[in-house]
Amino acid sequence: MSTDSLDGGGDDGTVTERQVRERLDRVTDPELDTSIVELEYIDAIRIDGDEVHVAFTLPTAWCSPAFAWMMATDARDEVEALPGVTRTTVELHEHMHETEINRGVNERLPFGEAFPDADGDVAPVRAELDEKARLARQHDATGTLLDAGLGGDQIVSLTREDLAFDDGRARVWVRDGALAVTVDADPLERYLEKARATGLVDDGHPELFRTPEGDPIDSESFELVRHRTRSAGVNMSGQGSVCDALHEARQADGRPPLSMR
Amino acid sequence: MYEYEGEDVFVIDSHLHLWDATEENIVHEGGEQFIQCFYDYHTAFTPEEKQWSLEEYRKYGAERMKRDLFGNGAVDMGIFQPTYLTDFYDEGFNTAEQNAELAEEYPERFVLNGTFDPRDGEEGLEYLEELNDKYDLQGVKLYTAEWRGDSKGWRLDSEESFKFLEKCAELGIRNVHPHKGPTIRPLNRDAFDVADVDDAATSFPELNFVVEHVGLPRLDDFCWIAAQEPNVYGGLAVAAPMAVHRPRKFGEIMGELLFWLGEDRLLFGSDYALWNPDWLVDVVMNAELTEEQRDEYGVELDLETKKKIMGENAAELYDIDIEEKKREFQSDDITAEFGLEDHYGPSTASADD
Repeated sequence: MSTDSLDGGGDDGTVTERQVRERLDRVTDPELDTSIVELEYIDAIRIDGDEVHVAFTLPTAWCSPAFAWMMATDARDEVEALPGVTRTTVELHEHMHETEINRGVNERLPFGEAFPDADGDVAPVRAELDEKARLARQHDATGTLLDAGLGGDQIVSLTREDLAFDDGRARVWVRDGALAVTVDADPLERYLEKARATGLVDDGHPELFRTPEGDPIDSESFELVRHRTRSAGVNMSGQGSVCDALHEARQADGRPPLSMR
Repeated sequence: MYEYEGEDVFVIDSHLHLWDATEENIVHEGGEQFIQCFYDYHTAFTPEEKQWSLEEYRKYGAERMKRDLFGNGAVDMGIFQPTYLTDFYDEGFNTAEQNAELAEEYPERFVLNGTFDPRDGEEGLEYLEELNDKYDLQGVKLYTAEWRGDSKGWRLDSEESFKFLEKCAELGIRNVHPHKGPTIRPLNRDAFDVADVDDAATSFPELNFVVEHVGLPRLDDFCWIAAQEPNVYGGLAVAAPMAVHRPRKFGEIMGELLFWLGEDRLLFGSDYALWNPDWLVDVVMNAELTEEQRDEYGVELDLETKKKIMGENAAELYDIDIEEKKREFQSDDITAEFGLEDHYGPSTASADD
């Protein structure tokens, strides 16, 4: 997916805007599980030698500070992981808590210090959203396997060892390794990323796919779990539509500026 | 009355407010941000030619509200759902008393819901009784994310809340409408979490829990709870206007809701003045599921289903006899004021006159 190797940087050794954008593309809006580049949140990228500055705006001024914080810190950390970048600053615009967020993220404070009034830390919020993303991605992954002809009973018993990835394709071994089905790797890789983030890869159960509660799936519950993961996906994309519409409304001509009392 | 392909559809808008967000009424920056956030939602999901200015939106008054609801016959009856937010607004954003201005003048057209806040303790219980004495409540609207001093919210399944739910059951206030929708005050996103409805609904089977805004952005959690709790309903405020610019998403959400809850447990609401039923009813009545969505979910959003969602389900919860109401509305004040006689037809007695 990454094209870092094709674009090793500018002639003078500094990073390019394209490289920065590619790193930012890995940052998701955690509530929507969609890239912040794809969502067009990024307003500007400025490169000044080994320093990078990223400006962004969220769909609503009152978007959760915890979400804004996650996106701002993830953006900072992703860009800073680029060779040739020593420091990245981010600047959130038009947000009711932009001052606290910009200061906290750029001074590298923990969330609790930037928001002393906050009820809790960012970690549990991130975990909850990772869990929703895991379910939605499981729906896509199991849908891909169903389309490839696997049955529910086969899907529920798959383990990590039954998958082999090669050049954008995934081989999925079924019937005790007697038969392999080849599918697009992307839905499975995306699922694994969130399964890992939610601690389901090394939790003592070998089964790849799980119920929303994290347990292995009985074959008779396969349909029910499919329906539950479907609703997780509809929820996420539905929220995405809400945010998208709010974003458009904010950008509309003649929209009165946000008054901050 | 709304007419769809020659057939009458009795519309009960189950989510209305008569609010005041004028600058004079705002006593906390949250009040300004709250109305601005509402306005974002308003413009995002309202056809451009139907959008209000922010100034109109702050306070529209009883006269305009009456015209918007009944002027073109889109709505037959409405249910007021108060939102107090008294830490933000001096007189409250729309309290039961504020909503009563219209509801008391046209009692045949409105249901007036009350509220409670368990953080108010004994005083709160007294206030609930007082509201019930005054307005003979059939329902309460609850705002678990409301700020009160240092508190950033409360839970429906808390011990304190159960005292109030017990009081509701005792007073015969059957319908409980917790607001479980998009986060507005961000630092307490959990206060909007629909999870606390589960235990409350199990513990009070004699009460109906109408989850306003169907738990978005936790639609999946809401559906799963509702699938197991027969006394949990979905209020479509916020979901409904997605039919305007995002009809496909609206179809998917309706598909989920119909799949998990069925057609008898969903209630239309405009959330006026967030959105105006004078166009929203028409948009929802004309919304359709795609063939793919019908196959995926195995459900229909046909006229029979829509009639239930638009009015019959709310009538069931609030003991409204639709046929009797139609007869009453042949000659009530609203019908006279807006010339709606044709909508409710001539009474059988005078049909030959």
